[in-house]
Amino acid sequence: MNTIRHGDAMLTDWREAASRFQSEVGKAVVGQERAVRLVTIAIFARGHVLLEGDVGVGKTTLLRAVARALGGAYERVEGTVDMMPSDLIYHTYLADDGRPRVEPGPVLRKAEDLSVFFFNEINRARPQVHSLLLRLMAERSLTAFNREYHFPDLQVFADRNRVEREETFELPAAARDRFLMEIGMEAPRDSQARRDLVFDPRFHDTDTLLEGLQPGIIDHAAVGGIANAIQHTIQAAPEIEAYVVSLWEALVRPAEAGIRLPGVDMAALIKGGASPRGLAFLVRAARVRAWLEGREFLVPEDIRDIFPEVMAHRVFLEPVYEMRRDTIVPGLIRAVFETVPAP
Amino acid sequence: MRRLAHFAILAALLLVALPGAALAQVRSVEIRAPRAFGYFVGDLLRVQVDVLVDEGFAVQAASLPQPGPVTYWLDLRSITTESTAQGDARRIRLNLIYQSFYAALDARALEIPAFTLTVANERPEGATTAKAQVPAWSINVSPLREVQPPSREDPLDYMRPDGRAKALDIEPPLRWAGTFAVLALLALVLLARDRAWAPFGRRRGRSFAGVRRTLRRLAARPDQDAAYREALIALHRGLDETDGRRVLADDLPAFLERHPGFRGQEVALARFFTASRRAFFGRETAAARSQWPFAEAEAAAKNLAAAERTARG
Repeated sequence: MNTIRHGDAMLTDWREAASRFQSEVGKAVVGQERAVRLVTIAIFARGHVLLEGDVGVGKTTLLRAVARALGGAYERVEGTVDMMPSDLIYHTYLADDGRPRVEPGPVLRKAEDLSVFFFNEINRARPQVHSLLLRLMAERSLTAFNREYHFPDLQVFADRNRVEREETFELPAAARDRFLMEIGMEAPRDSQARRDLVFDPRFHDTDTLLEGLQPGIIDHAAVGGIANAIQHTIQAAPEIEAYVVSLWEALVRPAEAGIRLPGVDMAALIKGGASPRGLAFLVRAARVRAWLEGREFLVPEDIRDIFPEVMAHRVFLEPVYEMRRDTIVPGLIRAVFETVPAP
Repeated sequence: MRRLAHFAILAALLLVALPGAALAQVRSVEIRAPRAFGYFVGDLLRVQVDVLVDEGFAVQAASLPQPGPVTYWLDLRSITTESTAQGDARRIRLNLIYQSFYAALDARALEIPAFTLTVANERPEGATTAKAQVPAWSINVSPLREVQPPSREDPLDYMRPDGRAKALDIEPPLRWAGTFAVLALLALVLLARDRAWAPFGRRRGRSFAGVRRTLRRLAARPDQDAAYREALIALHRGLDETDGRRVLADDLPAFLERHPGFRGQEVALARFFTASRRAFFGRETAAARSQWPFAEAEAAAKNLAAAERTARG
């Protein structure tokens, strides 16, 4: 039954490259195997990633390490409350000769070669900036200087911290929906990793740490093609299709699926969300995971593994429950997987 | 023994007359029997023979009469000996039980044959033996009935009527039978509960018993691929029900951690999950079936049902 398909060997080579990529990034970011793996999945699913977590857990280090190992041009901006969309696109200044100049801003500077765009502290930027980002993420294109720019290999990585609320702007639902994953990062639990992070001087200087990584393990220009090949090679059986649709149904209408959470009125919990785009992203990412596992077909574990990161931020709760989101949504997702039968 | 002594001493013979030093070692021989007359066919004669010998002498077992026929009308049924000290002498007592089969037509005396005992005194310088003669003695036997009974019309009248037997009370056996029937029924109910038979078919903690029944039913299906897939689904539901959540292939180690009773089935469960993956998600039902046939699925269900019984008691 296992017919040898053209391109299988190529996918196997790329799988090895992906695991090299993970181990290389893992050298710089210890104790974050899951985050590294999810970022790898996002890269091969061509999805944008939002990292969130405490201050100083290594969000920026992880993203910089990924950018280095991925190769290609990259740019980064820091979100501030006074940042405007134009700051991303162009940069005005007075040149030496005293005449004003307009130069391309961070997004356009590397023109269409841009492969990784960092947005640090994205929640500090204003909604105007978020809308620009929306188009950049959704269509990988931008209109500026009377022409359209295309960024075929662009991947947006953003991070935000959950500690402060002042002078921050919540991302609009439409922008959050464009992120493939929201990965929560915590300080590692493993005591050896903790000891290393605190006492090993290697981890104190991020710049030197990142310079030690082998650059460009993955050819960023070829990732798009591989991502397409993965999506076409990994098979989804009718059972898995039914499974995903049942999961979706149970997530949106938990009361009808018979899910009960303590202290929650299940009929009035979900306000909306879990968009078809979100589900499409889910299957996309699950296919990449199946490929990383060396399988040619999807299994429920693929869906379950990436589900929280892909789906949790797409579920919108009624306002009364929104404050308890951090406990309700993981509980709901766990209950959904404990309820929906597979196969 | 004491009772015997109450009867008259029927025969006593003192053997002291014979000359010679050797014989002095046997001091006397006495025979006691309850009575000397009134024996019918089949009666038992309990005879006691006391032989008084010098201290240090013991009867030689080979010289004792052997149980068995003695004459054509007399059997020796059993013989036992005991030896007790009596003053400076030793008393050897033989307890003999004879049975008479003499069908007498008139009252007559019959002679019980004599026998000789050897007693020996084993000493380091040599053994001294002596013989004790138990003399013949006689008993009187009588017929059971007259020789010529008056003639009767009906030959059956010669027979004596049967004795009146007491009617057996069937109440206690019936009560016992009832008790045991109830106990048996109770045991059957407990067994049915343990095995999750009919009325307990859907009881908690016996998921695999139901799976096993489902698989047995599916085995008869004509479409084997469909039956196989349904069997896999049944096993999945059994695992889900046991764990109270959906168990996927990757959860097997955690499942075994939570239910250590199933640890013995780890290999079978791993093969089941592999087959299930191939059948449902790899769309290779036939390949999965050849790799993990239906018979193995049935065996796995049987073992899982057994494991679930021992796991939860």
